[in-house]
Amino acid sequence: MTPPALAARAVVVRFGGLTAVDGVDLEIEDRTLVGIIGPNGAGKTTFFNALSGLVTPASGRLAVGGVDLTGKPAHVFARAGIARTFQTPRVFADMTVAESVRFGLEFAGRHRRAERASLADVPAILDFLGLAGSAALTARAITPARQRLLEIGMALATRPRVLLLDEVAAGLTPAEVESVARLVRRCRDELGLAVVWIEHAVSVLLDAVERVLVLHQGKKLAEGAPSAVARDRGVIEAYLGEGAAEARP
Amino acid sequence: MRGQALAAVAGGGAVAAALPFLLDDFLLSLALSCLMYVALASSWAMFSGATRYVSLGTAAFFGLGAYVSAWTVATAPWPVVVAGGALLAAAFAGLAGLAILHLRGTYFAVLTFGLSELTRHAVTYGEKQYAGTVGRVLTAAPSSRTVYFTVLVIALAAVVVAIVVRGSRFGLALLGIGADEQRAQTLGVPTRGVKVAGFALSAAFAGAAGAAMAVRWTYIDPMAVFNPFIGLQTVLIAIVGGPLSLTGPLLAALVFSLLAELLRLQFPYAYLIALGLLLIVAVLYLPHGLAGLWQGRARAGRPAEAR
Repeated sequence: MTPPALAARAVVVRFGGLTAVDGVDLEIEDRTLVGIIGPNGAGKTTFFNALSGLVTPASGRLAVGGVDLTGKPAHVFARAGIARTFQTPRVFADMTVAESVRFGLEFAGRHRRAERASLADVPAILDFLGLAGSAALTARAITPARQRLLEIGMALATRPRVLLLDEVAAGLTPAEVESVARLVRRCRDELGLAVVWIEHAVSVLLDAVERVLVLHQGKKLAEGAPSAVARDRGVIEAYLGEGAAEARP
Repeated sequence: MRGQALAAVAGGGAVAAALPFLLDDFLLSLALSCLMYVALASSWAMFSGATRYVSLGTAAFFGLGAYVSAWTVATAPWPVVVAGGALLAAAFAGLAGLAILHLRGTYFAVLTFGLSELTRHAVTYGEKQYAGTVGRVLTAAPSSRTVYFTVLVIALAAVVVAIVVRGSRFGLALLGIGADEQRAQTLGVPTRGVKVAGFALSAAFAGAAGAAMAVRWTYIDPMAVFNPFIGLQTVLIAIVGGPLSLTGPLLAALVFSLLAELLRLQFPYAYLIALGLLLIVAVLYLPHGLAGLWQGRARAGRPAEAR
């Protein structure tokens, strides 16, 4: 049996007296699309920070492809194939779109084989995202929606095995949200990536993913198929009660 | 692009190399101080301009280099003395960097300022304790022409290294750290190692310059060679010139060292006031320095996308 692409076991993250992530387990197999939902302050982004090596868990283990990387710095996670985006796009404002994508290829991407032609070079990645027309513009000059695409492109340029997406659809119009959801699916279907997706717009996420993890106050509240989780009593009480009403027009 | 820049450096170097045969002593000492600030500002901008880790620690590295010179110039061959200054400064910057390069912004700037005070007091204490003296007279100094060519070589090396680093993966990593350090790390940049290496490399030039310049002064003491003014003037030159450009710090070093020599003797206060005002103006209105003025057109020519 091959080890999972990314495995978190009993991960705990503390900030002073606050336990932001409290013993969460998660296994991500290759080529799966997993969603993480939870109310504000549930610990979703902190969990991502642990999964990408930006914060070191107080306890628990993290393994990428069966290799234990607990406590290693973020660039080691990147080289092992963990790529991520941030809640507010963190693009290199003064670099052009093409230079920004090249950045990922020059660092983590250089250490990894391009298994798909779509991740071979900058033009291929820009084509995949539909950003080829903006290649020569600086990142600060493109629209916020395209900055989100660019951020995904920078992450893809590291030629990852697992892609962690933190609210990539936040602040977008419904049409843009649809196209982001399609892009997320293509990352799995065409690039063969495992994708973990945090999203506040629950309905879009539940339609796209095949498994969903619900976090509440740092703990795992439920995990399973979207349809089952959406019917889970505890989940409805903790989150979907107001979340679903808000997300479904 | 890189070829052009290197050709320009070669041309400038040839002109500078001819100066000792053309200028009198006073003008040559002006040229020497120019070259010193070219070395200091170019190497400073190579690290601090790209990463936005503003270091006020140049005086620490410069002073350490100067003391290496004072300790060894009578016994060691001249190239070894200068290389020793570079190595000690780089090693010290590397160690200090490991301890303080996780701090950003003002904290880093203040700590590097503290670093030059710390080394100044440490050297003062060490000299008093073990040598029984604070200042040192450098007797076995090489000729002033040797010193000039040494500083010229250091300045050229600093500019060439800045050009080569800029076009390299290492330089790209430094830029990424300046743009968004965490983002760069999640894209695979080993940020800690890159920062420490960049800081040490930049310090090596300050150390070499200190070692070479020390013999010019024949008498050095900690107040003179760990003078915070050296660090401030370096930062000022690089920021006013344009911390992200290659030519900006070069030209600013030229202008400022001339101004410093000409004005400082006659109007010392006017000079310092002018420096302060220029720094404020540069920080407020010229984020890319004077170089930004002539690069501004190219930048503005880039169309912004319709929203």
